[in-house]
Amino acid sequence: MDLNWKSAIDSIPILNKAAVLTLELTAVAVAIGVVIGLLMALARLSKSKVVRAAAIGYIDFFRGTPLLVQIFLVYFLAPKIFHWDTLPNNYQYFAGVLAMGLNSGAYIAEIFRAGIQSIDRGQSEAARSLGMAHSQSMRYVILPQAFKRVIPPLGNEFIALLKDSSLLSIIAIQELFYSGKIIVGRTFQPIPMYITVALYYLVMTQLISQWVSYMERRLGKNDIR
Amino acid sequence: MISVKNLHKSFGKLEVLKGIDCQVQESEVVVVIGPSGSGKSTFLRCLNKLEEPTSGEIIVDGIPLDSEINVNAIRREVGMVFQRFNLFPHMTAIQNVVLAPQIVRKTNKAEARKIGLELLEKVGLSDKADEYPDRLSGGQQQRVAIARALAMKPKIMLFDETTSALDPEMVGEVLAVMKDLAREGMTMVVVTHEMGFAREVGDRVIFMDEGIIMEEGEPNEMFAHPQNPRTQAFLSKIL
Ligand SMILES: Nc1ncnc2c1ncn2[C@@H]1O[C@H](COP(=O)(O)OP(=O)(O)OP(=O)(O)O)[C@@H](O)[C@H]1O
Ligand SMILES: [Mg+2]
Repeated sequence: MDLNWKSAIDSIPILNKAAVLTLELTAVAVAIGVVIGLLMALARLSKSKVVRAAAIGYIDFFRGTPLLVQIFLVYFLAPKIFHWDTLPNNYQYFAGVLAMGLNSGAYIAEIFRAGIQSIDRGQSEAARSLGMAHSQSMRYVILPQAFKRVIPPLGNEFIALLKDSSLLSIIAIQELFYSGKIIVGRTFQPIPMYITVALYYLVMTQLISQWVSYMERRLGKNDIR
Repeated sequence: MISVKNLHKSFGKLEVLKGIDCQVQESEVVVVIGPSGSGKSTFLRCLNKLEEPTSGEIIVDGIPLDSEINVNAIRREVGMVFQRFNLFPHMTAIQNVVLAPQIVRKTNKAEARKIGLELLEKVGLSDKADEYPDRLSGGQQQRVAIARALAMKPKIMLFDETTSALDPEMVGEVLAVMKDLAREGMTMVVVTHEMGFAREVGDRVIFMDEGIIMEEGEPNEMFAHPQNPRTQAFLSKIL
Protein backbone atom coordinates (compact mmCIF):
# COMPACT_ATOMS: atom_id res chain seq x y z
CA MET A 1 0.00 0.00 0.00
CA ASP A 2 1.36 3.38 -0.98
CA LEU A 3 0.04 6.01 1.39
CA ASN A 4 0.68 9.68 0.93
CA TRP A 5 0.74 11.27 4.39
CA LYS A 6 1.78 14.69 3.23
CA SER A 7 -1.76 15.90 2.62
CA ALA A 8 -2.82 14.78 6.10
CA ILE A 9 0.17 16.47 7.75
CA ASP A 10 -0.44 19.67 5.81
CA SER A 11 -4.04 19.66 7.09
CA ILE A 12 -3.08 19.71 10.75
CA PRO A 13 -3.82 23.42 11.29
CA ILE A 14 -7.30 22.94 9.80
CA LEU A 15 -7.88 19.79 11.81
CA ASN A 16 -6.73 21.52 15.00
CA LYS A 17 -9.30 24.22 14.47
CA ALA A 18 -11.97 21.63 13.71
CA ALA A 19 -11.05 19.66 16.82
CA VAL A 20 -11.44 22.74 18.99
CA LEU A 21 -14.82 23.41 17.42
CA THR A 22 -15.83 19.80 18.05
CA LEU A 23 -14.91 20.16 21.72
CA GLU A 24 -16.77 23.43 22.00
CA LEU A 25 -19.93 22.07 20.38
CA THR A 26 -19.84 19.04 22.64
CA ALA A 27 -19.21 21.09 25.77
CA VAL A 28 -22.12 23.43 25.06
CA ALA A 29 -24.36 20.47 24.26
CA VAL A 30 -23.43 18.73 27.51
CA ALA A 31 -24.03 21.95 29.45
CA ILE A 32 -27.52 22.15 27.93
CA GLY A 33 -27.90 18.44 28.62
CA VAL A 34 -26.99 18.82 32.28
CA VAL A 35 -29.63 21.52 32.81
CA ILE A 36 -32.31 19.58 30.96
CA GLY A 37 -31.17 16.34 32.56
CA LEU A 38 -31.42 17.70 36.09
CA LEU A 39 -34.90 19.09 35.47
CA MET A 40 -36.04 15.88 33.82
CA ALA A 41 -34.59 13.73 36.60
CA LEU A 42 -36.44 15.76 39.22
CA ALA A 43 -39.59 15.61 37.10
CA ARG A 44 -39.13 11.88 36.72
CA LEU A 45 -39.10 11.54 40.52
CA SER A 46 -41.97 13.98 41.05
CA LYS A 47 -45.07 13.10 43.02
CA SER A 48 -47.29 14.29 40.18
CA LYS A 49 -48.22 11.61 37.69
CA VAL A 50 -48.55 14.11 34.85
CA VAL A 51 -45.11 15.59 35.44
CA ARG A 52 -43.62 12.12 35.67
CA ALA A 53 -45.31 10.98 32.46
CA ALA A 54 -44.06 14.07 30.61
CA ALA A 55 -40.50 13.38 31.71
CA ILE A 56 -40.73 9.72 30.75
CA GLY A 57 -42.10 10.68 27.33
CA TYR A 58 -39.23 13.07 26.75
CA ILE A 59 -36.59 10.60 27.89
CA ASP A 60 -38.02 7.71 25.90
CA PHE A 61 -38.31 9.77 22.74
CA PHE A 62 -34.74 11.04 22.75
CA ARG A 63 -33.23 7.74 23.80
CA GLY A 64 -35.41 5.67 21.52
CA THR A 65 -34.83 7.47 18.23
CA PRO A 66 -31.56 7.98 16.30
CA LEU A 67 -29.62 11.15 16.97
CA LEU A 68 -29.25 11.58 13.24
CA VAL A 69 -33.02 11.78 12.85
CA GLN A 70 -33.24 14.16 15.80
CA ILE A 71 -30.67 16.45 14.20
CA PHE A 72 -32.74 16.69 11.03
CA LEU A 73 -35.93 17.07 12.97
CA VAL A 74 -34.58 19.96 15.03
CA TYR A 75 -32.97 21.48 11.96
CA PHE A 76 -36.26 21.67 10.10
CA LEU A 77 -38.59 22.13 13.04
CA ALA A 78 -36.83 24.92 14.96
CA PRO A 79 -37.47 27.66 12.36
CA LYS A 80 -41.18 26.79 12.43
CA ILE A 81 -41.32 26.88 16.22
CA PHE A 82 -39.43 30.18 16.47
CA HIS A 83 -41.24 31.63 13.41
CA TRP A 84 -38.03 32.40 11.55
CA ASP A 85 -38.77 33.21 7.91
CA THR A 86 -35.12 33.62 7.06
CA LEU A 87 -32.59 31.51 8.89
CA PRO A 88 -30.02 33.33 11.03
CA ASN A 89 -26.35 33.19 10.03
CA ASN A 90 -24.70 29.91 10.93
CA TYR A 91 -28.10 28.50 11.80
CA GLN A 92 -26.78 24.94 11.48
CA TYR A 93 -24.63 25.42 14.59
CA PHE A 94 -27.62 26.46 16.63
CA ALA A 95 -29.69 23.54 15.39
CA GLY A 96 -26.86 21.05 15.81
CA VAL A 97 -25.99 22.01 19.37
CA LEU A 98 -29.66 22.17 20.32
CA ALA A 99 -30.30 18.69 18.96
CA MET A 100 -27.30 17.26 20.75
CA GLY A 101 -28.24 19.06 23.98
CA LEU A 102 -31.81 17.76 23.85
CA ASN A 103 -30.52 14.28 23.16
CA SER A 104 -27.93 14.24 25.91
CA GLY A 105 -30.50 15.75 28.30
CA ALA A 106 -32.43 12.49 28.07
CA TYR A 107 -29.39 10.36 28.86
CA ILE A 108 -28.20 12.68 31.59
CA ALA A 109 -31.68 12.63 33.15
CA GLU A 110 -31.33 8.91 33.65
CA ILE A 111 -27.81 9.38 35.01
CA PHE A 112 -29.05 11.93 37.56
CA ARG A 113 -32.05 9.82 38.48
CA ALA A 114 -29.85 6.83 39.18
CA GLY A 115 -27.50 9.08 41.17
CA ILE A 116 -30.31 10.52 43.27
CA GLN A 117 -31.82 7.10 43.89
CA SER A 118 -28.44 5.69 44.89
CA ILE A 119 -28.33 7.99 47.91
CA ASP A 120 -29.37 6.14 51.04
CA ARG A 121 -32.99 6.76 52.07
CA GLY A 122 -31.75 7.57 55.55
CA GLN A 123 -30.27 10.80 54.17
CA SER A 124 -33.57 12.27 53.07
CA GLU A 125 -35.27 10.92 56.18
CA ALA A 126 -32.71 12.66 58.37
CA ALA A 127 -33.18 15.87 56.38
CA ARG A 128 -36.97 15.71 56.51
CA SER A 129 -36.95 14.88 60.21
CA LEU A 130 -34.99 18.10 60.79
CA GLY A 131 -37.89 20.01 59.26
CA MET A 132 -36.39 20.58 55.81
CA ALA A 133 -38.81 20.81 52.94
CA HIS A 134 -38.43 18.31 50.12
CA SER A 135 -36.71 20.91 47.94
CA GLN A 136 -34.26 21.86 50.70
CA SER A 137 -33.40 18.25 51.32
CA MET A 138 -32.73 17.81 47.59
CA ARG A 139 -30.64 20.92 47.31
CA TYR A 140 -28.48 20.68 50.42
CA VAL A 141 -28.34 16.98 51.16
CA ILE A 142 -29.18 14.72 48.22
CA LEU A 143 -27.92 16.52 45.13
CA PRO A 144 -24.44 17.39 46.45
CA GLN A 145 -23.89 13.70 47.17
CA ALA A 146 -25.50 12.58 43.92
CA PHE A 147 -23.33 14.97 41.86
CA LYS A 148 -20.19 13.26 43.05
CA ARG A 149 -21.51 9.88 42.09
CA VAL A 150 -22.61 10.90 38.60
CA ILE A 151 -19.23 12.27 37.55
CA PRO A 152 -18.04 9.01 35.97
CA PRO A 153 -21.22 8.35 33.96
CA LEU A 154 -21.35 12.05 33.02
CA GLY A 155 -17.81 11.69 31.72
CA ASN A 156 -18.88 8.73 29.64
CA GLU A 157 -21.78 10.71 28.27
CA PHE A 158 -19.41 13.53 27.33
CA ILE A 159 -17.21 11.05 25.47
CA ALA A 160 -20.14 9.42 23.70
CA LEU A 161 -21.45 12.79 22.64
CA LEU A 162 -18.03 13.90 21.42
CA LYS A 163 -17.95 10.93 19.10
CA ASP A 164 -21.56 11.41 18.04
CA SER A 165 -20.84 15.03 17.18
CA SER A 166 -19.40 13.67 13.92
CA LEU A 167 -23.05 13.24 12.90
CA LEU A 168 -23.29 17.03 12.73
CA SER A 169 -21.34 16.81 9.47
CA ILE A 170 -24.67 15.95 7.88
CA ILE A 171 -25.87 19.54 8.32
CA ALA A 172 -22.53 20.97 7.14
CA ILE A 173 -21.06 21.87 10.50
CA GLN A 174 -17.30 22.16 10.14
CA GLU A 175 -16.41 19.81 12.93
CA LEU A 176 -13.58 17.31 12.80
CA PHE A 177 -15.08 14.61 10.63
CA TYR A 178 -16.63 17.08 8.19
CA SER A 179 -13.31 18.90 7.78
CA GLY A 180 -11.53 15.63 7.09
CA LYS A 181 -14.10 14.69 4.52
CA ILE A 182 -13.80 18.00 2.71
CA ILE A 183 -10.03 17.66 2.55
CA VAL A 184 -10.30 14.12 1.20
CA GLY A 185 -12.54 15.46 -1.55
CA ARG A 186 -9.64 17.65 -2.60
CA THR A 187 -6.67 15.34 -2.08
CA PHE A 188 -8.15 11.90 -2.82
CA GLN A 189 -6.15 10.47 0.11
CA PRO A 190 -8.90 9.07 2.35
CA ILE A 191 -6.87 6.53 4.34
CA PRO A 192 -4.19 8.82 5.87
CA MET A 193 -6.83 11.46 6.52
CA TYR A 194 -9.33 9.22 8.28
CA ILE A 195 -6.56 7.61 10.33
CA THR A 196 -5.50 11.10 11.39
CA VAL A 197 -9.09 12.09 12.18
CA ALA A 198 -9.56 8.91 14.21
CA LEU A 199 -6.39 9.72 16.18
CA TYR A 200 -7.72 13.19 16.91
CA TYR A 201 -10.91 11.69 18.37
CA LEU A 202 -8.90 9.14 20.32
CA VAL A 203 -6.63 11.74 21.89
CA MET A 204 -9.62 13.89 22.86
CA THR A 205 -11.57 11.03 24.40
CA GLN A 206 -8.49 9.86 26.30
CA LEU A 207 -7.86 13.34 27.67
CA ILE A 208 -11.45 13.67 28.78
CA SER A 209 -11.44 10.34 30.53
CA GLN A 210 -8.20 11.26 32.35
CA TRP A 211 -9.71 14.52 33.44
CA VAL A 212 -12.86 12.79 34.66
CA SER A 213 -10.95 10.33 36.80
CA TYR A 214 -8.92 13.18 38.23
CA MET A 215 -12.12 15.03 39.16
CA GLU A 216 -13.56 11.87 40.60
CA ARG A 217 -10.57 11.38 42.86
CA ARG A 218 -10.57 15.00 43.94
CA LEU A 219 -14.27 15.21 44.74
CA GLY A 220 -14.77 11.68 45.99
CA LYS A 221 -12.59 12.11 49.04
CA ASN A 222 -15.33 12.59 51.61
CA ASP A 223 -17.82 10.19 50.15
CA ILE A 224 -18.43 7.19 52.31
CA ARG A 225 -20.63 4.10 51.92
CA MET B 1 -47.08 16.58 74.74
CA ILE B 2 -47.88 13.63 72.47
CA SER B 3 -51.31 12.07 72.19
CA VAL B 4 -51.89 9.04 70.00
CA LYS B 5 -55.34 7.58 69.53
CA ASN B 6 -56.17 4.32 67.81
CA LEU B 7 -53.19 4.46 65.46
CA HIS B 8 -53.18 1.93 62.66
CA LYS B 9 -50.52 1.45 60.02
CA SER B 10 -50.40 -1.10 57.23
CA PHE B 11 -47.79 -1.71 54.56
CA GLY B 12 -49.92 -3.16 51.80
CA LYS B 13 -51.63 -6.16 53.33
CA LEU B 14 -49.31 -6.31 56.32
CA GLU B 15 -50.85 -4.58 59.32
CA VAL B 16 -47.94 -3.44 61.45
CA LEU B 17 -49.68 -1.20 64.00
CA LYS B 18 -53.06 -2.43 65.16
CA GLY B 19 -54.47 0.35 67.27
CA ILE B 20 -51.96 2.16 69.45
CA ASP B 21 -53.13 4.50 72.20
CA CYS B 22 -50.50 6.42 74.03
CA GLN B 23 -49.95 9.68 75.88
CA VAL B 24 -46.58 11.21 76.62
CA GLN B 25 -46.37 14.04 79.16
CA GLU B 26 -43.93 16.91 79.07
CA SER B 27 -40.47 15.90 80.35
CA GLU B 28 -41.46 12.28 80.41
CA VAL B 29 -39.01 9.62 79.22
CA VAL B 30 -40.87 6.72 77.65
CA VAL B 31 -38.91 3.63 76.73
CA VAL B 32 -40.35 1.33 74.07
CA ILE B 33 -39.25 -2.29 74.05
CA GLY B 34 -40.41 -5.34 72.14
CA PRO B 35 -39.29 -8.09 69.80
CA SER B 36 -37.93 -7.41 66.33
CA GLY B 37 -40.68 -6.65 63.83
CA SER B 38 -43.20 -5.68 66.49
CA GLY B 39 -43.60 -2.21 65.00
CA LYS B 40 -41.51 -0.07 67.35
CA SER B 41 -39.72 1.82 64.58
CA THR B 42 -42.92 2.21 62.61
CA PHE B 43 -44.63 3.69 65.67
CA LEU B 44 -41.79 6.15 66.23
CA ARG B 45 -41.71 7.11 62.56
CA CYS B 46 -45.44 7.82 62.61
CA LEU B 47 -44.83 10.40 65.35
CA ASN B 48 -42.98 12.69 62.94
CA LYS B 49 -44.74 11.42 59.85
CA LEU B 50 -41.83 9.69 58.22
CA GLU B 51 -44.55 7.08 57.85
CA GLU B 52 -48.08 8.01 56.89
CA PRO B 53 -50.53 6.44 59.38
CA THR B 54 -53.32 4.42 57.81
CA SER B 55 -55.78 5.71 60.40
CA GLY B 56 -55.87 7.21 63.85
CA GLU B 57 -55.12 10.54 65.43
CA ILE B 58 -51.78 11.96 66.46
CA ILE B 59 -51.45 15.29 68.22
CA VAL B 60 -47.98 16.59 68.99
CA ASP B 61 -47.50 19.70 71.11
CA GLY B 62 -51.14 20.62 70.49
CA ILE B 63 -50.85 20.37 66.71
CA PRO B 64 -52.78 17.62 64.91
CA LEU B 65 -50.58 15.79 62.41
CA ASP B 66 -52.67 16.04 59.30
CA SER B 67 -51.87 18.70 56.75
CA GLU B 68 -48.52 19.08 55.03
CA ILE B 69 -47.88 22.44 56.73
CA ASN B 70 -48.37 20.93 60.14
CA VAL B 71 -46.02 18.13 59.30
CA ASN B 72 -43.14 20.50 58.66
CA ALA B 73 -44.04 22.49 61.77
CA ILE B 74 -44.07 19.31 63.84
CA ARG B 75 -40.81 18.04 62.45
CA ARG B 76 -39.10 21.20 63.59
CA GLU B 77 -40.23 20.49 67.15
CA VAL B 78 -39.48 16.78 67.10
CA GLY B 79 -35.88 15.65 66.83
CA MET B 80 -35.08 12.16 65.66
CA VAL B 81 -31.94 10.06 66.04
CA PHE B 82 -31.54 6.94 63.92
CA GLN B 83 -29.89 3.62 64.41
CA ARG B 84 -27.55 4.23 61.48
CA PHE B 85 -26.71 7.88 62.37
CA ASN B 86 -27.51 9.20 58.88
CA LEU B 87 -25.04 12.05 59.14
CA PHE B 88 -24.58 13.99 55.92
CA PRO B 89 -21.24 12.59 54.69
CA HIS B 90 -20.36 15.60 52.54
CA MET B 91 -20.42 17.96 55.51
CA THR B 92 -18.22 18.32 58.58
CA ALA B 93 -19.62 17.71 62.05
CA ILE B 94 -20.35 21.39 62.63
CA GLN B 95 -21.88 21.78 59.16
CA ASN B 96 -24.17 18.84 59.89
CA VAL B 97 -25.29 20.56 63.06
CA VAL B 98 -25.86 24.07 61.68
CA LEU B 99 -27.50 23.21 58.35
CA ALA B 100 -31.10 22.85 59.52
CA PRO B 101 -31.09 25.86 61.89
CA GLN B 102 -29.75 27.99 59.04
CA ILE B 103 -32.07 26.93 56.26
CA VAL B 104 -35.17 25.99 58.24
CA ARG B 105 -35.07 28.34 61.21
CA LYS B 106 -33.19 31.04 59.25
CA THR B 107 -30.74 31.50 62.11
CA ASN B 108 -27.86 33.65 60.91
CA LYS B 109 -24.53 32.02 60.25
CA ALA B 110 -22.59 33.31 63.26
CA GLU B 111 -25.39 32.56 65.68
CA ALA B 112 -25.91 29.06 64.23
CA ARG B 113 -22.20 28.31 64.52
CA LYS B 114 -22.15 29.47 68.12
CA ILE B 115 -25.09 27.23 69.00
CA GLY B 116 -23.54 24.41 67.00
CA LEU B 117 -20.22 24.60 68.84
CA GLU B 118 -22.02 24.69 72.18
CA LEU B 119 -23.93 21.56 71.25
CA LEU B 120 -20.80 19.74 70.09
CA GLU B 121 -19.23 20.72 73.38
CA LYS B 122 -22.25 19.34 75.19
CA VAL B 123 -21.84 15.95 73.49
CA GLY B 124 -18.08 16.07 74.15
CA LEU B 125 -16.93 16.67 70.59
CA SER B 126 -15.81 20.29 70.38
CA ASP B 127 -12.42 19.12 69.09
CA LYS B 128 -14.07 17.24 66.20
CA ALA B 129 -16.12 20.13 64.81
CA ASP B 130 -14.29 20.24 61.50
CA GLU B 131 -13.98 16.50 60.90
CA TYR B 132 -15.99 14.72 58.25
CA PRO B 133 -18.20 11.86 59.47
CA ASP B 134 -16.01 9.17 57.91
CA ARG B 135 -13.20 10.29 60.20
CA LEU B 136 -15.34 9.77 63.31
CA SER B 137 -16.05 6.59 65.25
CA GLY B 138 -19.60 5.25 65.41
CA GLY B 139 -20.13 6.63 68.88
CA GLN B 140 -18.84 10.03 67.85
CA GLN B 141 -21.05 10.04 64.76
CA GLN B 142 -24.07 9.23 66.83
CA ARG B 143 -23.27 12.04 69.25
CA VAL B 144 -22.98 14.45 66.33
CA ALA B 145 -26.36 13.17 65.15
CA ILE B 146 -27.83 13.95 68.57
CA ALA B 147 -26.29 17.43 68.49
CA ARG B 148 -27.71 17.93 65.00
CA ALA B 149 -31.21 17.07 66.18
CA LEU B 150 -30.86 19.29 69.26
CA ALA B 151 -29.77 22.23 67.12
CA MET B 152 -33.38 22.67 66.02
CA LYS B 153 -34.26 23.16 69.70
CA PRO B 154 -36.87 20.41 69.61
CA LYS B 155 -39.38 19.94 72.39
CA ILE B 156 -39.42 16.19 71.89
CA MET B 157 -36.66 13.74 70.95
CA LEU B 158 -37.23 10.35 69.36
CA PHE B 159 -34.48 7.74 69.57
CA ASP B 160 -34.67 4.58 67.47
CA GLU B 161 -32.17 2.00 68.70
CA THR B 162 -29.47 4.62 68.68
CA THR B 163 -26.89 2.32 70.22
CA SER B 164 -27.63 -0.91 68.34
CA ALA B 165 -25.18 -0.25 65.53
CA LEU B 166 -22.34 0.63 67.89
CA ASP B 167 -19.42 -1.39 69.15
CA PRO B 168 -20.02 -2.23 72.83
CA GLU B 169 -17.33 0.13 74.10
CA MET B 170 -19.08 3.09 72.46
CA VAL B 171 -22.57 2.45 73.77
CA GLY B 172 -21.83 4.12 77.09
CA GLU B 173 -20.78 7.48 75.66
CA VAL B 174 -24.02 7.77 73.67
CA LEU B 175 -26.22 6.66 76.54
CA ALA B 176 -24.49 9.20 78.77
CA VAL B 177 -25.53 12.01 76.42
CA MET B 178 -29.09 10.68 76.38
CA LYS B 179 -29.17 10.48 80.16
CA ASP B 180 -28.03 14.08 80.41
CA LEU B 181 -30.85 15.10 78.11
CA ALA B 182 -33.38 13.18 80.19
CA ARG B 183 -32.16 14.88 83.36
CA GLU B 184 -32.49 18.28 81.73
CA GLY B 185 -36.17 17.55 81.27
CA MET B 186 -36.34 16.69 77.57
CA THR B 187 -39.45 14.80 76.53
CA MET B 188 -38.14 11.57 75.04
CA VAL B 189 -39.46 8.45 73.37
CA VAL B 190 -36.68 5.88 73.25
CA VAL B 191 -36.71 2.53 71.47
CA THR B 192 -33.89 0.54 72.97
CA HIS B 193 -32.68 -2.80 74.21
CA GLU B 194 -30.65 -1.13 76.96
CA MET B 195 -32.58 -2.17 80.05
CA GLY B 196 -30.13 -0.41 82.34
CA PHE B 197 -30.98 2.85 80.60
CA ALA B 198 -34.70 2.11 80.93
CA ARG B 199 -34.33 1.51 84.66
CA GLU B 200 -32.17 4.53 85.31
CA VAL B 201 -33.95 7.27 83.39
CA GLY B 202 -37.18 5.75 82.08
CA ASP B 203 -40.36 7.08 83.63
CA ARG B 204 -42.40 4.45 81.87
CA VAL B 205 -41.78 1.36 79.78
CA ILE B 206 -44.04 0.31 76.95
CA PHE B 207 -43.87 -3.27 75.77
CA MET B 208 -44.98 -3.65 72.16
CA ASP B 209 -45.68 -6.90 70.40
CA GLU B 210 -47.43 -7.63 67.12
CA GLY B 211 -48.44 -4.03 66.64
CA ILE B 212 -50.15 -3.39 69.93
CA ILE B 213 -49.09 -2.19 73.35
CA MET B 214 -49.17 -5.35 75.43
CA GLU B 215 -48.18 -3.82 78.72
CA GLU B 216 -46.84 -0.61 80.19
CA GLY B 217 -45.64 0.52 83.54
CA GLU B 218 -42.92 1.94 85.74
CA PRO B 219 -39.63 0.29 84.66
CA ASN B 220 -38.45 -1.36 87.88
CA GLU B 221 -41.93 -2.51 88.73
CA MET B 222 -42.54 -3.93 85.26
CA PHE B 223 -39.18 -5.64 84.94
CA ALA B 224 -39.65 -7.24 88.36
CA HIS B 225 -43.30 -8.25 87.96
CA PRO B 226 -44.38 -8.41 84.34
CA GLN B 227 -48.09 -9.27 84.13
CA ASN B 228 -48.53 -10.29 80.50
CA PRO B 229 -47.08 -13.71 79.52
CA ARG B 230 -45.62 -12.18 76.34
CA THR B 231 -43.83 -9.57 78.41
CA GLN B 232 -42.57 -12.26 80.75
CA ALA B 233 -41.24 -14.33 77.84
CA PHE B 234 -39.58 -11.33 76.23
CA LEU B 235 -38.00 -10.05 79.43
CA SER B 236 -36.72 -13.45 80.44
CA LYS B 237 -34.77 -13.52 77.21
CA ILE B 238 -33.08 -10.16 77.52
CA LEU B 239 -32.76 -9.39 81.25
N1 LIG C 1 -41.44 0.49 54.47
C1 LIG C 1 -41.92 -0.74 54.76
N2 LIG C 1 -42.55 -1.47 53.83
C2 LIG C 1 -43.02 -2.70 54.12
N3 LIG C 1 -42.94 -3.29 55.31
C3 LIG C 1 -42.32 -2.61 56.30
C4 LIG C 1 -41.77 -1.30 56.06
N4 LIG C 1 -41.22 -0.88 57.22
C5 LIG C 1 -41.41 -1.85 58.11
N5 LIG C 1 -42.07 -2.90 57.57
C6 LIG C 1 -42.47 -4.13 58.28
O1 LIG C 1 -43.19 -3.76 59.41
C7 LIG C 1 -42.90 -4.62 60.49
C8 LIG C 1 -42.50 -3.82 61.69
O2 LIG C 1 -41.29 -3.17 61.42
P1 LIG C 1 -40.58 -2.21 62.44
O3 LIG C 1 -39.32 -1.75 61.80
O4 LIG C 1 -41.51 -1.18 62.91
O5 LIG C 1 -40.25 -3.21 63.64
P2 LIG C 1 -39.32 -2.98 64.88
O6 LIG C 1 -40.14 -3.30 66.07
O7 LIG C 1 -38.71 -1.62 64.83
O8 LIG C 1 -38.21 -4.08 64.70
P3 LIG C 1 -36.63 -4.02 65.00
O9 LIG C 1 -36.47 -4.28 66.47
O10 LIG C 1 -36.08 -5.13 64.16
O11 LIG C 1 -36.13 -2.69 64.57
C9 LIG C 1 -41.84 -5.57 59.99
O12 LIG C 1 -42.48 -6.79 59.65
C10 LIG C 1 -41.29 -4.92 58.78
O13 LIG C 1 -40.87 -5.86 57.84
MG1 LIG D 1 -36.74 -0.87 64.50
